Amino acid sequence: MATRDWLGLKQDLPPRRSAVLTILSFILPFALWAVVSYTPWIWHPLVRITDSGESEWMTEDMDVQRADFANEVEKTKAAGLAPPQGFRVNPVYLPAPHNVAKAFVTAFKTPPRLPGEPWLHESLGHSIRTIVWGFLLSSLVGVPLGILCGTYRFFSKLQEPFIEFFRYLPAPAFGALCVAILGIDDAPKVAIIVIGTFFQQVLVIGNTVRKVDPALIEAAQTLGARGWNLVRRVVIPASITDIYTDMRILLGWAWTYLIVAEVVGTMSGITYFINQQARYRNFDNVYAAIFMIGIIGLTSDLMLGAIGKVIFPWKRRGARGKSLIEWVREPGSAWRKEPPNPRAAAAALAKSLSHARTS
Amino acid sequence: MLALPDYREQTPEVAARFAKIKERPVVLTVRNLEKAFGTNGSRHVVFDHVSLDIHRREFVTIIGPSGCGKSTFIRIAAGLEEATSGEMLLDGKPITGPSPDRGMVFQGYTLFPWRTVKENVMFGLEMRGNDTGTADAEARQWLDMVGLSRVENSYPHELSGGMKQRVAIARALANEPRILIMDEPFGALDALTRCKMQSYLLQIWKKVNVTILFITHDLDEAIYLSDRILVLGVNPGGVREIIENPVPRPRTPEQFLSPKFLAVKHRLDELIHGSAAEQEEEDKIPVIKLTEVGDEVE
Repeated sequence: MATRDWLGLKQDLPPRRSAVLTILSFILPFALWAVVSYTPWIWHPLVRITDSGESEWMTEDMDVQRADFANEVEKTKAAGLAPPQGFRVNPVYLPAPHNVAKAFVTAFKTPPRLPGEPWLHESLGHSIRTIVWGFLLSSLVGVPLGILCGTYRFFSKLQEPFIEFFRYLPAPAFGALCVAILGIDDAPKVAIIVIGTFFQQVLVIGNTVRKVDPALIEAAQTLGARGWNLVRRVVIPASITDIYTDMRILLGWAWTYLIVAEVVGTMSGITYFINQQARYRNFDNVYAAIFMIGIIGLTSDLMLGAIGKVIFPWKRRGARGKSLIEWVREPGSAWRKEPPNPRAAAAALAKSLSHARTS
Repeated sequence: MLALPDYREQTPEVAARFAKIKERPVVLTVRNLEKAFGTNGSRHVVFDHVSLDIHRREFVTIIGPSGCGKSTFIRIAAGLEEATSGEMLLDGKPITGPSPDRGMVFQGYTLFPWRTVKENVMFGLEMRGNDTGTADAEARQWLDMVGLSRVENSYPHELSGGMKQRVAIARALANEPRILIMDEPFGALDALTRCKMQSYLLQIWKKVNVTILFITHDLDEAIYLSDRILVLGVNPGGVREIIENPVPRPRTPEQFLSPKFLAVKHRLDELIHGSAAEQEEEDKIPVIKLTEVGDEVE
């Protein structure tokens, strides 16, 4: 029966089990990596020479193919010479987990090799700046346009067919054009992110807004809402939480365009750092930098999720209080103190206590 | 079969009440209303020749089997759909679109999930240009009337179905509509809550004295609540009968088993579920026996 509990089709898992699986989802790939790195008889296709013996061409610290090493050992033995010695290693492009872990610290501390080269944190800062600008500029036009397309068939028919076509054009294809128009610095990079994000954004948000329950709009109409009020007071608040989720997903896509964007013009940001480190064969730094992108992406998404819970109180179970929408709508009233409600507070406390006891 | 009295027979009190209602001004006038879909080739008439006058403070229910167009009728009244021909007038003026003078309560609650209970009731008041303070105070009054003051700061998802529908009623009434239109408002509730809500609605109706146009497919609900019951049919669509409900007011749940109540119910059942002959026709459907069941009854 235990397996049925773990593998219930579309059934919620108890929180403990969900937590275990969440942790495992990270541990499993790392464990696989560790096994390949730390078990000498798994893979390890090369041999690092510790003592070249009397081999003609081998030198210390050299990595050679296992077959070549075995050949050389046999050859030197047959000739009555001292055989070379060494141990099995993985290729340099697969550093062990502890090396990468160390690189997380050292990569930030290592000064750049060339004068004028950025430090890792500077590279990351540059990348984040590019993303934020690109995403902001795209959203500034994309979100309102998406809402218009989702609300009015007029805009939907006027805009969406062309955008549908344009979104199939790969953003990197515009790299050369962007450089020609905007120069070689940050402008073309931001432009690539805008091109990569904007068209998806309009379509995705348009779709989300279209999914607003028409019954809500009809109800609002029978309550006297019309025209712009209907959009501002009903369509936007009804879809804002889904738009927010869309934006989180779109921000993830923007990161994938970043790497392409940073190759355009003069290479910059995290891509430049990764490229340089790969050139120096500091693959542990390369991995550290790649993981940094993942960590930044995941933490920013978790943060946005937490912020979402604060600004959309109706999405919380058992929530009280005013939402951001209200704040935006009625400045001034936002900071007016609500009279304390001791009964509600006591009820909430009792509820949380009984909940704590049962779980 | 129980011997039932004639459903058209009214006690003097009931007859006097109907006479009084007919003296009141007409709020909603329906004249020769027709709704059809498709073009001449494959035209499907949902209903036609529907005529009805709803008087001030009257409670009229429309009942009928699914497909009879009762929801369509109500959507036309709300201004959310247009009739093919004929007209509907509110206080003598043709209905052209949705407006707060016709308050709607839908089956699917349709509360705004991003607004608290009180803010939901405030919506119509704000749309009419009231400032927040006035709207707030008025909303509190209406919530008080439906007995929901204690949850005014809750969000709709925290309420039970019955509570949500009470908020929806308060929200519609806050606009002080000429007529309250309710489209199967208790259809999604469980039987017990439904019963409570029906009594509740009668109470509110008494206090507010609003005109109500109600839709249901529940015979008991129709008889328990209304003054007049308009029965719509299918194939062909249209009005079967307009019954003046002889069950005296005030209504109580005990009346559900009174002879008058049952007489009306019997008549409604006849009109809606068809005659005995039609029933027999349905019984002629061949019986398919399941094989390998093993426990044959006969």
